Amino acid sequence: MNAQAARVLFRRQLFAGGRRGVGTVAREQHRCFSCTARQSQQPQTPPKTTQNRDGTTHFGFETVAEALKEQKVRGVFSSVASSYDTMNDLMSMGIHRLWKDHFVRNLNPGRNPLTSGPYEQKGWNILDIAGGTGDIAFRMLDHASNINHDAHTNVTVADINPDMLAEGRKRALETPYARSPRLNFIEANAEKLDMIPDSSIDLYTVAFGIRNFTHKEEAIREAYRVLKPGGVFAVLEFSKVNNSLFDAVYKRWSFSAIPLIGQLVAGDRDSYQYLVESIERFPSQTEFRDMIKDAGFLVPGQGWEDLTGGIAAIHKGVKPA
Amino acid sequence: MGSARAPSALLGTFRAASHRPAVAWRQRCCYHSHEYTQPAPFPPAESAILSSALSHVPSYGFTADALRLGARDAGYMDVSTNLLPRGVFDLINYHLVTQRLALKNAVQFPSTADQGKKLGIGAKVRTLTLARLRANEPIIHRWQEALAIMGQPSYVPTSLAELARLADELWYLAGDDSVDSSWYTKRASLSAIYSATEVFMTQDKSKDFIATEQFLDSRLGDVMKMGGFIGALSEWTDYTAHSAVNVLRSKGMRV
Repeated sequence: MNAQAARVLFRRQLFAGGRRGVGTVAREQHRCFSCTARQSQQPQTPPKTTQNRDGTTHFGFETVAEALKEQKVRGVFSSVASSYDTMNDLMSMGIHRLWKDHFVRNLNPGRNPLTSGPYEQKGWNILDIAGGTGDIAFRMLDHASNINHDAHTNVTVADINPDMLAEGRKRALETPYARSPRLNFIEANAEKLDMIPDSSIDLYTVAFGIRNFTHKEEAIREAYRVLKPGGVFAVLEFSKVNNSLFDAVYKRWSFSAIPLIGQLVAGDRDSYQYLVESIERFPSQTEFRDMIKDAGFLVPGQGWEDLTGGIAAIHKGVKPA
Repeated sequence: MGSARAPSALLGTFRAASHRPAVAWRQRCCYHSHEYTQPAPFPPAESAILSSALSHVPSYGFTADALRLGARDAGYMDVSTNLLPRGVFDLINYHLVTQRLALKNAVQFPSTADQGKKLGIGAKVRTLTLARLRANEPIIHRWQEALAIMGQPSYVPTSLAELARLADELWYLAGDDSVDSSWYTKRASLSAIYSATEVFMTQDKSKDFIATEQFLDSRLGDVMKMGGFIGALSEWTDYTAHSAVNVLRSKGMRV
């Protein structure tokens, strides 16, 4: 795997070198700082469905075999796990923290024992998918404990990637929840949550994760299965910018600056190239809303809330009771 | 078989014939929304949660707690209140919309044949406005909370739109069919009167809200006077301007 990656990188550099000498031969085959932005502006023809008939799916702008995507995504996140937070701060200029805070505050997790009256269930069962580093989980627990005075709400953090989970466990040590039963980490694929029984979860969240799933529909169906009737499916994910002028600026930033920052700070250009390409390939607000509806969820209002002009969006679905 | 079909076919032609004038009448007439049943204003799950949440408002006020209790009563969970993107404002909006739509059935005016004297449009507007105000009675001690939430900048446009819809509904149900500029002034003035009276009512401690009724009457009286004054003023201005022009013309000016 490593040797292969090195070979690919070498080939890219070779191509890039060749271009400068020869001219515009094989423009599509290489990716470099100056041309990724251009590439992003060229009309892409992404396949409408996430999976094709011949068992391939997309990995950024590349088309790869379905079986390979999971492995490749794992590779990307293993390589970025250690510098995840620094990179998020640099790429979003710190705004990702505001999005996550808003996401959690809006969901308002936790049951206030003083105002909510008697009720058989203490606290919520929250499942945070693709939440390896615990970003959302710690916020949820903080909100439940500090705002709602709820000492029973528990969060299960599931991630497909053991490196991200290790990062989360390490960070958990700095929070009051490290040794408490309120926080669990499990390694799981969101498309097959066999260890979680039907109708057992109050709140299912995915923050910046569903984009990387090989089969999004299957993951949403699985979410529907594990949620209790009345439970909420909440997704925080990159989306489509509404204003075309702002979109141009944003595309410029994401396709030229983000891979560069990745290269300079994390020493890993390809992973961040994948990141921006996967954002580009993610369905628009309405398409994703319809995917949630098709799985049987009720959607609140128009179905989503745009953040920062649509760079990110919060989608919600409620399982009918 | 054949004999059985014949009468039915005959009946069919008769029926067609008897229906034709009605169809033609329909076609000639324009679409009137009141002739058709309107879709429910809220989806079933939302209305189940919101209607049971409203019953908790007298004790819990317009708060997230009332919403949560309502969700539980409707068979949902605390977390299901996420179905309401605007939270408590959705609860207020539900109250406003359902009460506005309920007016149509709550107030029935006697037809003119029953009574010798026809009820004037002004009297009808008064009755309707009072009926709408009385619909706030069970939650009037919590209504200031709702007004405060409606006054939040992001909710102001929706709240004002709902007020305009209420004023329109009141005039429509009163049988107003004006098609001139008074259409606007009537709705604007009624909106102002309604919102003022509503605020007055939140502090009214009198028995059976007599003071609110008096307040409403005097505001309606004010508008009547104002309307009369403005009408007279505009008539006078119109007359004077025309006379002035005519005087100038008689002096040989080309105006």
